[in-house]
Amino acid sequence: MSEIHGAVGAYVVNALDPDELEEFEAHLAVCPTCSREVVEFGETAAELSLLASVATPPASLRGSILSAIAEVRPLPPEPPAETTQTEPSPGGTLTIAADLRHAADELALRRQRRRTRALSLLVAAVVVAAVALGGVVYTLVQARQTQVAQQAAETELLTAPDVQTYSATMKDGGQISFVVSRSLNRALFIGKDLPAVGSDRTYQLWTLEGERAIPDNLVAGGGDRQEFFRETLSGVTSLAVSIEPAGGAQQPTPAAIQTVTQLSS
Amino acid sequence: MNVSSLPPNSGGQPSGSARHRDASSGREAEAAHLVELMTLCSRGHEEAFAELYDLTSQRIYGVVLRVLRSPDHAAEVTQEVYVEVWRQSARYSSGKGSVTAWMTTMAHRRAVDRVRSVSSEMARDERYAFHNGDREIDEVWDGVEQRLDIERVRKGMASLTAIQREALTLAYFGGYTQSQVAQLLKLPLGTVKTRIRDGLIGLRDALGVEA
Repeated sequence: MSEIHGAVGAYVVNALDPDELEEFEAHLAVCPTCSREVVEFGETAAELSLLASVATPPASLRGSILSAIAEVRPLPPEPPAETTQTEPSPGGTLTIAADLRHAADELALRRQRRRTRALSLLVAAVVVAAVALGGVVYTLVQARQTQVAQQAAETELLTAPDVQTYSATMKDGGQISFVVSRSLNRALFIGKDLPAVGSDRTYQLWTLEGERAIPDNLVAGGGDRQEFFRETLSGVTSLAVSIEPAGGAQQPTPAAIQTVTQLSS
Repeated sequence: MNVSSLPPNSGGQPSGSARHRDASSGREAEAAHLVELMTLCSRGHEEAFAELYDLTSQRIYGVVLRVLRSPDHAAEVTQEVYVEVWRQSARYSSGKGSVTAWMTTMAHRRAVDRVRSVSSEMARDERYAFHNGDREIDEVWDGVEQRLDIERVRKGMASLTAIQREALTLAYFGGYTQSQVAQLLKLPLGTVKTRIRDGLIGLRDALGVEA
């Protein structure tokens, strides 16, 4: 039994540090024992949560949530594991089965996405069209029909009824787009041939609530990149990109701001 | 949303009676009922979702608030969690554990992600922890209602060693990473990792939770 196996407890209570989280998730995909323990400890952690269930949610929250879900379409079921194998993903990045946590919450998927990966054909198509045209990407959704299932989050975003694409040229010349859906409360950053920024610097995404900038995910320079915003879009008025020292900043460096794109509400 | 479209015989009603349970058979029945509700949600039944909310919101909001401490953030994250539950309802299967565990896991993860992504929040929390290291533990214990289920968990926690209990409490309710827990408890990282796992095993055994 490898040492990484011992991380299962910390994993279930979300206490792993980022490096080890990646390592453990890779391990989890191939370790049935750990997968079983994750489910088992998940039940225990849920019991533990009872100790916190003394707070009553505000009465307004119920109505707010019920209104919110009325505008959201539940995802279709996942295709059975066998059929997902019959047609390989063009991007070579499709991994549906195995990862329980993945299925439990697509947040895991977003974490996984932080690792640099090849652009799928679908997203590549969006980049080309979005950078060239801007505007709404309904037509691209039709292209999706010819694709095998893509990662759920991207597909959902691209097929959202209110999806919009904002394109911009950054100060350093990089061509970027934000794909935004207010109803899904999500935004995706897409960069086409981003200029290299050196190993000691990084692109950083920001959500802006009026004057307040909230640090978001980091994106490496050089090449094609896509990255979901970590933050949801509640209250967000603009999206921005800056170049910051490796590791990111808590506040954008004013001179290093590459683009600020105002969103329609 | 058009609440008036709800059928008269379902959803919407307060869940007091459904939540009441005093035996493991009651818990199993409720678990099965939550699975049914989840199935209905996946087919777009909003009234089933409303009932799911009524049955689970105290727990979900509670754990999110416990980690985030700010009612505003907690309401926001709770809403995100429920919208995600609705969206993902067809992706739930019993192989992923009980509905409660599936939802709680999602809620806890989002709360923790929020804590770690909001830097000021984090700074505040760390200050809080360093100055009030012991209160972190006490608050959980002080606020506990003497309901049967909670009593079971409380007893289970009491059966752990002090270090196991503290490590688990700081990680789960404090939202700290294991390295932060190690700093707070002045213990080596490896020890903390082991204590968290042992704590969960001890609690699982004490509760007789089935996989």
